[in-house]
Amino acid sequence: MSMYLKLAWRNIWRNKRRTLITVSSIMFAVVFALFVESLERGAGDLFIDNMTRFHTGFIQVQDFRYEDEPSLDNAFFYDEDSFSERITANDSHIDFTVPRIETFMLAAGAEQTRGAMVMGTDVSGENRLNNLEDRLTEGRFFEPGDGTAVLGEGLAGRLDLAVGDSLILLGQGRFGMTAAGMYEVAGLVKHPMREMNNQLVYISLHDAQWLLSADDHITSLLVTPEHVRYADSVAEMLRSRLESDELRVLTWEEMMPELIEAIEFDRAQTRVMMLILYVVIGFGIFGTILTMTLERLREFGILLSVGMRRLKLALVVFIETVFISVLGVLSGFIPGFFVVLYFHYNPIMLGGDMEELVQEWGFEPIMPTALAPDIFLWQGLIIFIMTTVICFYPTIKIFSLNILNSARN
Amino acid sequence: MPVITTRNLSKVYNPDTVPVHALRNVTLTIEEGEFTSVRGPSGSGKTTLLNIIGGLDKPTNGMVVINGTTITGMKDSKLIDFRLNNIGFVFQSYNLIPVFTAYENVSFIMLLQKRSKNEMKARTEELLEAVGLGSKLHSRPRELSGGEQQRVAVARALASRPKFILADEPTANLDTASAMNLLDMMERMNREENVTFVFSTHDQRVIERARRVITMVDGAIDSDVQQNGDRKYAEE
Repeated sequence: MSMYLKLAWRNIWRNKRRTLITVSSIMFAVVFALFVESLERGAGDLFIDNMTRFHTGFIQVQDFRYEDEPSLDNAFFYDEDSFSERITANDSHIDFTVPRIETFMLAAGAEQTRGAMVMGTDVSGENRLNNLEDRLTEGRFFEPGDGTAVLGEGLAGRLDLAVGDSLILLGQGRFGMTAAGMYEVAGLVKHPMREMNNQLVYISLHDAQWLLSADDHITSLLVTPEHVRYADSVAEMLRSRLESDELRVLTWEEMMPELIEAIEFDRAQTRVMMLILYVVIGFGIFGTILTMTLERLREFGILLSVGMRRLKLALVVFIETVFISVLGVLSGFIPGFFVVLYFHYNPIMLGGDMEELVQEWGFEPIMPTALAPDIFLWQGLIIFIMTTVICFYPTIKIFSLNILNSARN
Repeated sequence: MPVITTRNLSKVYNPDTVPVHALRNVTLTIEEGEFTSVRGPSGSGKTTLLNIIGGLDKPTNGMVVINGTTITGMKDSKLIDFRLNNIGFVFQSYNLIPVFTAYENVSFIMLLQKRSKNEMKARTEELLEAVGLGSKLHSRPRELSGGEQQRVAVARALASRPKFILADEPTANLDTASAMNLLDMMERMNREENVTFVFSTHDQRVIERARRVITMVDGAIDSDVQQNGDRKYAEE
């Protein structure tokens, strides 16, 4: 085999300039493809990460009526100890849970009133989910039942409230009970999603349940798996165990179908662009292989004359093609890796209208690249498949070669 | 047993349009150890005859038997293996693999035969030594003169230990000194190792050295002469 490898390796360097041009074209294409694919994946992952960590969580348990009618009337009874004993402790892929009770209320400062999303939560669990404490720009987080609140900076600005001021919440509790309360503003957070930043009020779960006349009830239990890849299996386990409790289990994909569709649409656009790129690379490799084949037909004829089997000859040409593509892919991987690495830690900051638009959607105006090994593997695999397809041409040529005609060539 | 036997070989090109009779009922026998030259003007059919004997072309009629095996009608893949193990080829324009050294060109044939590494090494060195290129084992074809390349080609042809060697105009591209050197070397192989050589040529230098000369005219054997003057076979 080493002799065939040696033959193939030396053959590709017969025309150094041609091989270098082909390898360079593959290299640039690979770098570009890696960057575009990583950027698209990175932006999508950030999008999903923001939505799941700060909004929906990876898996939610809700009352089965809550999705169609998200009202406090459709909150469900939650006893942490029994729930944990019965469900979550039995699955090693569950990392932790965060109970939440959410509703919309009027929030008022001394002069202003605004609509607000009130979220009663367990601050330690919330912090594990999304490092919320790192977003604290002023003050501190509340302790369970201490009668304080943490506001999004945007909402605090609109209500003209600062740490130490009083916040009034007014709305409707469970089953039409009047809900009103006054809370000291303990801290301000800068929420990454602008929409949330402008309307979120965090209070402790205990305070919220008391305010909303919903003792021991929550609207959702966020279940966080050890890794996002376990989300489906954990959700499946929860479904099987909670079937009889009139509870419904939703994964983040089920909770945000529009988001998934938008991401898929974006990915489809990228794939079309990639396809065009691969076609260009493919023709580059094909051009080289075509020339290498046609200018060596006589040599092929001689090799067949002296006893080399057609299959072995085709194998040598295949190895040559693989060598060229592997050289191109590897020489693309190295700079590609560093480009992706750089933009992973130094994300592209969106500016101008794009920044405005993304912030309108409630997201940070940045586009980091994803450091995902599978993107690199896919690039290698796609080029390898392309190479194999291109190799059909010399293979067919070799198998249909007339020895005499080629030797006379 | 003869090494090569042909019976009523005919070859017609373009049979349906403008038929060209390249060979007409050629019957001949070549014994082991012969040093035979096939001569004739251009278009006389000598190259076609060698191509059919070498299994590179198929006759329209007739048969070829090599060392007791009929190769006419043999499948392409079997024929390739048969050529590898039974026939050595030397071409007019050397046709070495340009990216291989002299050593690799010769040993490559044995690699195709799946010989052991040790055997490959020993035989390659022995052959290149025998053709006078012991000091140029690692030279690539472009670093060798035409004569040296043709000697590597002879060594390559001998590497597989074939039953005979077919050489198509082996001296056509060589100057006189190189041609004489090559012929000396082939004669020595023939004499010392009993290797059978069949040349197609119109080079007088080769014809004079051959012990048997077959002359072809218009696709048929015109004369078949031992160089001592005996007329062995003739066909009008």
